[in-house]
Amino acid sequence: MDFLKEKFPQAQISNLVNGDTEILVDLKEYEEAVRACYDAGFTFGSVLSAIDWKERLTLVASLCRIDPAEVGCKTIHVKVDLPRAGAHVPSIAKLYPGVNFHERETYDMYGVRFDGHPNHRRILLPDNWQGGFPLLKDFVDKRPKRPRLVRHRIAE
Amino acid sequence: MEQTKELLVNMGPQHPSTHGVLRLMVKLDGETVTWCEPDVGYLHRCFEKLSEAKTYPQVIPFTDRCDYVGAILNEQVYVEAVEKLFGDAIVVPERAQYIRVLMAEFQRIASHLIGLGSAAMDLGAVTPFLYAWRDREKMYTLFERITGARMLYNYLRVGGLRNDLPEGIIGAETDGEDKAAETFWGFINYFDSYVVPQWDGLVTGNRIFQWRTMNVGRLSAVDAIAYGSSGPVLRGSGVKFDLRKNLPYSVYDRMEFDIPVGKEDGDCFDRWSVRMKEMEQSSRIVKQCLKWLAENPGEVMGKVPRVLKPPKGEVYHRIEGARGEIACYVISDGGPNPFKVKYRSPCFTHLQVMPLLCPGHKVADVIAILGSIDIVLGEVDR
Repeated sequence: MDFLKEKFPQAQISNLVNGDTEILVDLKEYEEAVRACYDAGFTFGSVLSAIDWKERLTLVASLCRIDPAEVGCKTIHVKVDLPRAGAHVPSIAKLYPGVNFHERETYDMYGVRFDGHPNHRRILLPDNWQGGFPLLKDFVDKRPKRPRLVRHRIAE
Repeated sequence: MEQTKELLVNMGPQHPSTHGVLRLMVKLDGETVTWCEPDVGYLHRCFEKLSEAKTYPQVIPFTDRCDYVGAILNEQVYVEAVEKLFGDAIVVPERAQYIRVLMAEFQRIASHLIGLGSAAMDLGAVTPFLYAWRDREKMYTLFERITGARMLYNYLRVGGLRNDLPEGIIGAETDGEDKAAETFWGFINYFDSYVVPQWDGLVTGNRIFQWRTMNVGRLSAVDAIAYGSSGPVLRGSGVKFDLRKNLPYSVYDRMEFDIPVGKEDGDCFDRWSVRMKEMEQSSRIVKQCLKWLAENPGEVMGKVPRVLKPPKGEVYHRIEGARGEIACYVISDGGPNPFKVKYRSPCFTHLQVMPLLCPGHKVADVIAILGSIDIVLGEVDR
């Protein structure tokens, strides 16, 4: 993707196994990079998620182009590295309304906060959930467990 | 002086035994909807967390349970994503590819039948739902003979399929209605000659149905793309985009079929008729697969290592599911368990258009809009 190389010369650009482009940008440039993709016609926000690498989080926004005449259009994955706790990212839900739910899900599962999100609430977990962020690798389920049944033995 | 007040109503089936668990919060001014917001998560099973603790083949049964109405398509996206991670190391035999496409298109017909049937039933027409069930039962009998299960198949494998088609299930091109539950050709001929005209006459051409769905829930093409719609919802808005054509995977580039589209800003009826026409196109693809499969016997499982350990890497694979774009983001760290599996569900994304489409319509139209989006709650919540 040439337009990304021109705009973000320092950013790390590579290809996935299936030919998709991924670009790793700084947090400051994240909004700008997404904007550049949007202006290049990638107006379809396919999915937004995060990856927990155990020492850092990586936010991935997968953006596609919907062009009926084009065959074999690849996806752009805009990535940004974040700290594991208390991460803040500008929301792109205004540009891509379809990413709204995915950002809420990412908050639910990884604890990434999206500044400027129109409706920043939990989505899949209950609103009063206190048990942490389930998709972090060090998540422990602290809810009370049902006691394990043991075979009854007759006292001798 | 009398005053009026907006009324907040909780809509939707919330009991686990109903067909999905969804809560739609709707604000009403009289009969008119002024605000709508979906509340999801009742069926959340944390598929993504579960799959991190399993090996690659052990995840396949979980993918079935995401969208239990179109299970083969979910297996296909996951299995193909893992195969892409391996690169050239795993070669899927051609016959297996054709059977995958055959099963996927067959599943698409079954899934659309249920989607259309329940949409019509929610609008008050119970008969089409029973007809959908009758025809789907015939298809499930076929599925059961091939895979051993009726709904949740666990049939696709990384590198091929679990087993070949059983003998005689393809049948002869002349098979008629009496063999609809025994051979593929029997069902397809029955479907083309009987089921499609019946649905056209009973529902699509029904004046009451058209009054209920036309001009309801108009979604413009620009909004459809912006809101992440895909599949029949996107094509119902007049965008001729289908991943089977625009990003061909498996052997779809060898198939001949058309992409039905609706009007520029499609309403519920457009989305309905796109699904109806899509079933006919699926039946065309099934016929091409059947002709090829009858002539080309062979292996259905490629050479695969005993323990699947894909090389380090990431892959994002998108396919055209029954309800829209299903995608799978798989990351491997070189070990036997996937490091991360992210599943992009079309229904989850489609629910976001509800707050856009509902305001201004009557309460009863909310049901028509929800039915035209065709969601499966198992997939919404994963």
